[in-house]
Order: sequence, then C-alpha cells, then structure tokens
Amino acid sequence: MPETATAPETTAPETTDALDEDAEPFYLPIGDEIELFRAAYAQRIPVLLKGPTGCGKTRFVEHMAWHLARERGNPVRDALVTVTCHDDMTASDLVGRYLLSPEGTDWLDGPLTRAVRAGSLCYLDEVVEARKDTTVILHSLTDHRRILPMERLGTTIRAHPDFLLVVSYNPGYQASLKELKPSTRQRFMAIEFGYPDVDRETAIIAHEAEVDDETARSLAFLAEQLRNLDEADIIDGPSTRLLVYVGALIRKGVPAARACDVALVQAVTDDRDIQEAVRKVTRAVFAE
Amino acid sequence: MTATAHLHPAPVRPGFEAEQHALGLYFRALCGHGCELVPYADDADVWQHPDTMTTLRLPSRPPIRDGDPLTDADWYQVAVTHRALHRSLGTFDFDAGRAEPLFPRLRPPALDRPSPAPGLERFIGLFGRTALAVEIFAALEDLRVDAEALRRYGGLRARFLAVQRAAVRGRPEPARLPPRAAVAEALVRASLGQTEIEVPESLQGPTAAVVGTALRLTDPRATVESTAEATIRVYGVLAGLPNIGGGDGPVRTLSLVDGAAVDDPDVSLFRRDLRLEGDELLDVRFVPVRYRDVPGPRYVGQMASGMPLQEAILRMVPDPDPEGEDADEHGFIERSLNAERGDVDITAVERPEPPPAPLPHDHGPDLDGQHDAASGHLHASGRDEYVYPEWDAVAGRYLADWCLVRLKRPRSVRSDSIHRRTMARHGHLLPGLVAALEQIRPAGREFLRRMPDGDDLDLDAAIEAMIDLRAGRRPSDRVYTAVAEKRRDVAVAFAIDLSSSTAERVPPDPQRPKEVMRILDVQRDAVSLMGQALDRIGDTYGIYGFSGTGRDDVEVSVVKDLDERRSPAVMHRLEGVVPHHTTRMAPAIRFLTDRLEQFDAATRLLVVVSDGRPYDLDYGQQYGEEQILRYALADTGRALAEARARGVQPYMITVDPAGDDYLGEICDPREYHVIANPRDLPESLAQLYVVARSRG
Repeated sequence: MPETATAPETTAPETTDALDEDAEPFYLPIGDEIELFRAAYAQRIPVLLKGPTGCGKTRFVEHMAWHLARERGNPVRDALVTVTCHDDMTASDLVGRYLLSPEGTDWLDGPLTRAVRAGSLCYLDEVVEARKDTTVILHSLTDHRRILPMERLGTTIRAHPDFLLVVSYNPGYQASLKELKPSTRQRFMAIEFGYPDVDRETAIIAHEAEVDDETARSLAFLAEQLRNLDEADIIDGPSTRLLVYVGALIRKGVPAARACDVALVQAVTDDRDIQEAVRKVTRAVFAE
Repeated sequence: MTATAHLHPAPVRPGFEAEQHALGLYFRALCGHGCELVPYADDADVWQHPDTMTTLRLPSRPPIRDGDPLTDADWYQVAVTHRALHRSLGTFDFDAGRAEPLFPRLRPPALDRPSPAPGLERFIGLFGRTALAVEIFAALEDLRVDAEALRRYGGLRARFLAVQRAAVRGRPEPARLPPRAAVAEALVRASLGQTEIEVPESLQGPTAAVVGTALRLTDPRATVESTAEATIRVYGVLAGLPNIGGGDGPVRTLSLVDGAAVDDPDVSLFRRDLRLEGDELLDVRFVPVRYRDVPGPRYVGQMASGMPLQEAILRMVPDPDPEGEDADEHGFIERSLNAERGDVDITAVERPEPPPAPLPHDHGPDLDGQHDAASGHLHASGRDEYVYPEWDAVAGRYLADWCLVRLKRPRSVRSDSIHRRTMARHGHLLPGLVAALEQIRPAGREFLRRMPDGDDLDLDAAIEAMIDLRAGRRPSDRVYTAVAEKRRDVAVAFAIDLSSSTAERVPPDPQRPKEVMRILDVQRDAVSLMGQALDRIGDTYGIYGFSGTGRDDVEVSVVKDLDERRSPAVMHRLEGVVPHHTTRMAPAIRFLTDRLEQFDAATRLLVVVSDGRPYDLDYGQQYGEEQILRYALADTGRALAEARARGVQPYMITVDPAGDDYLGEICDPREYHVIANPRDLPESLAQLYVVARSRG
C-alpha cells in the first residue's frame, strides 16, 4: 500500500539521462553552427534549431552543453535538461506542481524550473507540439528579464547566469498545421539544419554505427538518392539517425538489403507503391 | 463484359503496369525529376518513341528470353536507371565553356559565347552531318552513363550486365556491314560491354581509334563535355569512312579492351564535309538498344521550348518513302516537340481514339443498345475493386452485388497551373475561409476535475485523499484539475462529378471574356481551394472523382486519399482528371461512406459536387424511359440515407439549375445547394463547408 497519494511519475515530462562526464557526445559540424551557438550563448540569446527529424539537432545540443559545462567548470551531469514536447503538455509540466504528501502538499519543480535554477541548457524538443498557452510562459525567460514567474508559488525566480533556453522544431513536419506564434519565434535566433553532405554523412554513419567506410558511404549515397523523394514531399527523410540504425543492423550481420527493408523502407512510408520504389533504390545500391 | 469492350479492343497492358507508379518514383529518387512511363507496342518503330523530359518510352514487353537471368521487373528497372542517369549526369545540360579533364580541347571557342540557343543544339550544329553527330553523341553518352550506373549501383550490377548481354543478341554483325556502319556497330557493342568483336581487317585501325576514344568516357571524371570532345573525334573517323560496299575481305577479332588507344585521333573537323547528293539517304542508322532511349529532339537541345533544328530531326526520322510521302507522315516531329513542351499526349498512337467532344447532355458513346441490366452478380477481383448493392425502387428491393467500383489513379500531369490558376482566381477567398474555419475549430475548453494528472490540485479531491490517507485507507490518485481543449476532428471526402457533361463550357466571365473554362475546371478550382484551406486548419480530407459506363464499370478516381497528405503528386493528379461518360452517384457515395467510416473522426462529411442528375446506361432503363429518373434518384437517395445512418453526413452541391427539382426529393434542404452560375462554385463550396463544419 502506498504511503502517499503523490502524482504518478508518468505525469512528469520525459527528460533525458544526464550527460556523462567522460563521453563527449559525437557531433560533426556541417557549417558554422558551433560558432553561431557559442556566440548566442555568450550573449544568452535563446536559440531555435530548425531542421528535419533525425538530422542531429538533439545531438548538437548535447555536444554544446557538454562542452560549455566543462569550459565553465560546471558539472556535466547538470549541463542539459531535455523536454520532449507534446500537445497535452501544460505549463505545470514545465514549471512544476504541488503533490500530495502525508503532511500536506509538496512542491515539485518541473524540468524548466530545475534548469533555470541550476544554470543548465534547457532544450524543448519539437516545441510547436506544445500548446500555445504553454509556450507563453517562456516569454519572460527569453528576453532581457530572464525570469520565470511561478504563479502557483506566488514568486518569481531569476535565471541562473548560465541558463539558456534552446528549442527545436521541424518546419517540414505538418508545416501547414502547426507554426510558432510570431511573438514566440521572434525571441530566438535560428540555426537551420539540413542533412549533411555525402562525405560528412558517411563519417557520421561510420562513427555511430561502427561500420566500414564503404558501407557507410553506400548508405549515405542511398540517402542522398531517396531525399529526392523528400524534396517532392513524397516521403520524409530518410534521416541520418535512420541510416545509423540500418548501419548498426548491418554490423550485427543482417544482410544490407534486408536491413534496409526493415529499418528504412518500412520507416519512411506505408504506401505500397512508394515502398516498392524505395526498395528498388535500396536494391540498386545493395545487392540482395 | 463492359460496354466499352465492344467498342475498343482491349489495349495490351504493358509489362510494367503493376509497377508503373513505383518505377516513376524510382526514377525521381535517382535523378530528382518526375516522369511518366508510357508504353509503345512491341512491333512499333523504336525511332518513333524518343523519351522527352517528362516521359519515358518503354516497350510493352521487355526484349528478354526464357533463360535470361532476368525478370521483366529487372529489365524495366535497368531501363529506368539508364534514363535517370541521363538526367542526373547532365546529358542535356551541355555547356561548351565548361572544362573537362580527359581530352585536349577541340571544341571551337566560339561555342563559349553566350547565346540564346541551347548549347547542345549549337554543338551539334557544328557538324556537317548532324544526324550522324547526334547518333554518335548519344551512343557515347550511353556508354558514359552505363559505366557510371555500374559504379553507382552495385546492387543492380549483375542485372545491369545481364540486360546488356541480352541487348547484344540480335544485333548485326559488323563484318557484314558497310565500313561506317561496321565501326558504328563496334562502338555500340563496346558500349554494351563487349570486349571482343570481329571486324574486317581493313577497319581495325578506325575501330580501335573509335572504341579507344569511347572507352575513355568510362573514366569517373568524364562529363558531358568529355562526351562532346569524344564525339568530335569519333565523328572525324566515321565521317571519313564510306558507307557503301564492305562486307567482304578478311575478318579479324579485335580485342576492344586492349585496343583502348591512348593516342588522340588526328581529326580536323568543322570544315564542311564533302557531301554527295542523296548521300544522306545512305547515312548510317545506329541499331537502337531497347533499354536505352533513342535520340529525340532533346539531343539537339530541344527541351521545352524553341524551334527545332529541323534538319537534324528530319534526318532522325525514318527515311522518307520513295514515293515522296511526307517525311512527317506519322506526325512524329510535331508530337515529339509538343510532348517536349508538355502539352500533348504523344501516346495517342497506341491509345484508342478519345470519344468525340460531347454535345450538351451527351453521355458518351451510345451504348444503351448493348447494355442488358437483366441479371448477374458482380465480383471484385482486385484490391482496388469493390462491389456494392443497388436499390431498385421499382421492385422495392436491393439488388445484391450490383455495382462494381474500380479505383484508379488519374494520370499525373506535371504542371502547377491548377494551383496558380486557382490562386489567381480565388486566392482572395482563402484568408476569409481559413479564418471562418479557425473560428469554429476548437469546440471550447473543458474544466476537468478529479484527474490523475493536471495543473492544479483539486481541493475537494485532495481533502478526501488526505482523509483517506490519515484513516489508513488507500487514497485515490485522481486529485488534479485540468483544462482540456474539446476536440472536433473532421474527415471530409469531396466527390466531384467527372461525367462527360463536365467538359461543357461555363458562361464566360464578363471581366475575363477570353477565358475558357469548363465545369470540370471550376470543380477543380473549388476542391483545390478547399484543400489549401483544410491543410491550414488540419482537417482530414480526400478528393475523389466519379464516372462510369454501366454498373460493372463505375470508376472512382482517387486524386487524394483521405490518409494521404497533400503533395505535388496530388496536384498533378487533379490536373490529370478527365471527363468520362456517366454519373452513377450512388456506388461512389457507398464507397466513400465506407472509406469515411474507417476514419476515427468525430465528424465525417461527404460533399458531392455534380453538374446534373444521376444517370447511367443501365440505371432503371429496364423499366422504361419514364422510370429512369425515379430509379436513379431513389438509389441515390437510398445511398445518402445509408451514409447518414452510418454517421457520415452528406452534402450535395450542384451547378445544374434544375437541381432543386430533384435534390429536394432525396435531401433535407439543409443538405443541398444549387448554384445558378457555375463560376460561383468555389465560393459556394467554401461557404457550404463552413456551415457543414460548424454543424459538425
């Protein structure tokens, strides 16, 4: 029998595991994004990362958080708080809420509040998914005030000097359905991400999936071809992440063509004709 | 048997039919361009079927035999790969000024000067025998393209080589040909990967020079400009050879690989070659390779506009008839060029003649006499076929399995003109429409109490939980309050009438007196506008067309399926729908009711846009003329009632001024709308939808 009637754990938004002090998150820059991010951080300008799914936005933030924390002598495990936004997410999910305890009520900080207090990077992934009334609480954190009003506590907390808000969204995904309100998006500088070129993507796949260069290059070439279908809005991607999965399966001994079937063809579309077309391309690159 | 089958022999289904869409997408993946695959008959003259920038011409049956390690699908995939690489490797983007790494430059510097004429046209224009130059250029490009294909597509390599081997079969033996044709044939064979070839001893030198030059294009660095340089050299050799006689003398096997000469042939071109009268008739025609495209107007730079280099094209068509018939008797040039411009269906030769332009209320060919509605259940035989019952009002019963609905994808016409046209004519309606729809979108908010999850503690529930806790009972965890948006998901299917009467023109707009619009165009505008608005507000929608030629041939054209997202392909299909015969509305309504029912939406709407009363060839005729309308209306009304009963709310909108006379019988007045001027359809449809949506 439980001792308390606290809110179940599942109501707290998903947060990622803390970064590891000894493991630098691998990230291969495709342009000047690292310099831009550093410049933004120096001025504490909030950052908006735009780009298709699986192109490396989250990894980029992890990479930057890890480096910035080490450079500033902060503990790496507190460097980053990631929240994956969804359309049921409320302001309380970010800021915090009262829980019942045997003695009465306890206040539990939400992930945003934790980041604001500790001076972490707070990364709101897919921020357009959040309800519009939720994103409004970000406003006072993203201008010169850098404060977070805690309505339910009746107080306001000032952000730690090292705190920075980073949000991401994928403009291609449900583009016409969801957009950021102008009053929100004009509070961020934007860094746009695309898919890496074949050489860089080869290096990324080879590193992440630990496959040989030739396999990695074939996968990167395959992706380059399939993205012609993305351009025409027929499929999304394939993302670099998906290619890493395919590579990982190949490394585990799954034949390349089969690995493409299960991890790529099925992932990019449910339409049979499109699947057949994608399969033909994979079979042109990898022999059965 | 369908009524149409009596009129037209069943067209031969091309071997790639099942994969047509997938192969088109495959082509797009490889080169980033869309295309349509069009079959030509097996016995057709291949020279009459050049590819264009938007169509690939493929034989109805691939030229392979039992025993070849290939399937039909393999052969078509190789053929499409070859053609895609022409696009991605820039065959038609020749730029004389661009450097290439393989040959000392022979292209005259004059070519580098900017000019409105396409680079390829100007390059080919340098040669005295343009047709010969085009053939050489094309064969060399094929070689370069295939070499790259084998490098890029390792998974396809074995099948590609098998197709090449099959392609060598049946080709003429060089040793039996006149000298120029013999060396040309050796070039083509080398491009197909043959490493040894028998040529007359006297031609060993020229063959080695030609093939050696050609094989340099297998270098990964080769570009289309390299091919142009090689063309100059190969032409220099071939044009100097006689094209009569030959076929005798000792023969020797030449190893094409060893013969890969490194010496650059000494050619001095661009002096006008000496030509004899009638010489052109004896010019060499390279025997085509069927998985490759044959040279067409785009090989002289004619992509989408501009006048053709007539001389070159004339020489590429079959030799004129000795009787002096018109060289373009098959209309090849005109069709090819029109096809390049994207405005003509060059497949017309193999397809049945289109039905004559409809007269008012003509429902296509008169098939009534051939149609017997007497009896017979129908069966669905494919995944895109569905059978529905029909309500026979005269007999007062359902006829089971009476109508066969066939789904089809309309032909895709690559053009964004619908979008531009719609926006030009009706774009001003869009903001108001979106705003009106957004206003009704959220159905308000609900304050929810005793939730397991929420923003605030629910005081009552929290106190009860505390009491339970202190009394040692297990407390409820539902102690929060939450505010939730009420959702109203909407799925709507738009069904537009594609009967032949939609080809009729609508009265001209006084402000645009020259603009000719058909009812079909107005319908397209209307659904295109709705699509844009619905995309913005997030309603699920589908666009379908319906037509038919009898109960066993009800066609539902799927422009955009409900679960499909809007894409350029959808717009191309909308552009591709065509008027076709009759209006048997009820089976389409039944099909779309089924379709909508599969969607988990709070509100399901079916909006039928039509231009006249329901009518078909075998739709009540069995009871005599006077029963036709009653029968058709009763069945349609019954289908609408079925829809309502299954939670699909139907709406009818018609541009038929007489619509009030019959729609009132089968619909609630709120469910239908009659438009006096067809031009008002987009606006009226938008208004109707806003109203329908808010009733939700």
